Amino acid sequence: MRVIAAVVASVAVLMVMSRPVIAHHSFAAEYDANKPVTLKGTVSKVEWMNPHARFYVDVKDEKGAVTNWNLELASPNVLVRNGWTRNSLKVGDEVTVEGSRAKDGSNMANARAVKLADGRRVFAGSSGGDAPPPAQK
Amino acid sequence: MAFVLWVLAISVLAAQQTPPAATSPAGSGGLNRTPAAPTGPAPRLPNGHVDLSGVWQGGGPVGNIADGLAKGETLPIRPEYQKIMDGRNAKDDPEANCLPTGVPRRDPYPWRVLQTPTHTFLLFEGNIHSYRQIFMDGRTHPADLDPTWYGHSVGHWEGDTLVVDSVGFNDKFWFDFRGTPHTEKLHTVERYTRSNMGTLGIETTIDDPGAYTKPFKVTFTARLRPGEELMEYICNENNGYVHHITGSAKEF
Repeated sequence: MRVIAAVVASVAVLMVMSRPVIAHHSFAAEYDANKPVTLKGTVSKVEWMNPHARFYVDVKDEKGAVTNWNLELASPNVLVRNGWTRNSLKVGDEVTVEGSRAKDGSNMANARAVKLADGRRVFAGSSGGDAPPPAQK
Repeated sequence: MAFVLWVLAISVLAAQQTPPAATSPAGSGGLNRTPAAPTGPAPRLPNGHVDLSGVWQGGGPVGNIADGLAKGETLPIRPEYQKIMDGRNAKDDPEANCLPTGVPRRDPYPWRVLQTPTHTFLLFEGNIHSYRQIFMDGRTHPADLDPTWYGHSVGHWEGDTLVVDSVGFNDKFWFDFRGTPHTEKLHTVERYTRSNMGTLGIETTIDDPGAYTKPFKVTFTARLRPGEELMEYICNENNGYVHHITGSAKEF
């Protein structure tokens, strides 16, 4: 029993420690980690600005209706320090984005992982700033 | 023999003070790929004081100031201020709205210490792209200060520790994402100790009889980021989405 309690406590500590705090605002108050979303579409705009880089994706549903999603990344400073550049993602790129939806239900999410059509991962990190560097060539 | 040892000591010190090869911030790695901070002795200035200069990361509360308390301690917060804290919404955090962190809060961005004979400056990359000035010329606090985000700071050395005394704060900034409050009666005493080349401990005594029943101490550690440079960070440029933050500050 005590072992179980210790394991539960350790997991809780790890969860607290792994909270993304690189953002300049509270992550959990804006995004719902329990509402994962996967979006496939075309990049319509990239905003390479602080405090968060953002990009927008046009997502088509089965009926052909297009919804524009607003996706938040870490700050350009964090992304640049991890080896990404303002040209890593371009308007027109076909992407698959995994993230967590905004709690307010708008078409907004943080982007935890971004994959290009050829399978390459871009940014691959959330607005929590846990973006790993690009693969070494 | 003593001379040889002295020369050896000086050259070791000089070697440690040589900054590592600068890496371009763009595209060639960054914080996550910088080598581990060196652990040799803290460098010294020609005047004998510890040299605190360099680019640091951390050293203050981000999510929760209570993380800096000694084990088993809790914040001695007055019930009426606990109530204020519990009612705060994350979207109202001044820091999320591109306003300064105040003292002792830090953002998770690098900052630089710059020492001159008369002032010590803390230059913050974010958030916001601002600075603190600490007067080192022996002056005292003026009697009647306009309340400000960083207050009025005077510093002096106690051995190898830089002691920074600050008053004159406004009550607008939060100590952390959780919305831990304070009043204009806030008085902070920060003790900066560079225990080795790569480590800067900052112990802050928070004395605010307005919001707390007694003074308390929080300790955080900043790590040196060798080869790192500050980058531009203009928070106001694209912060138009704060209204999407709907949660309580407690959820941080």
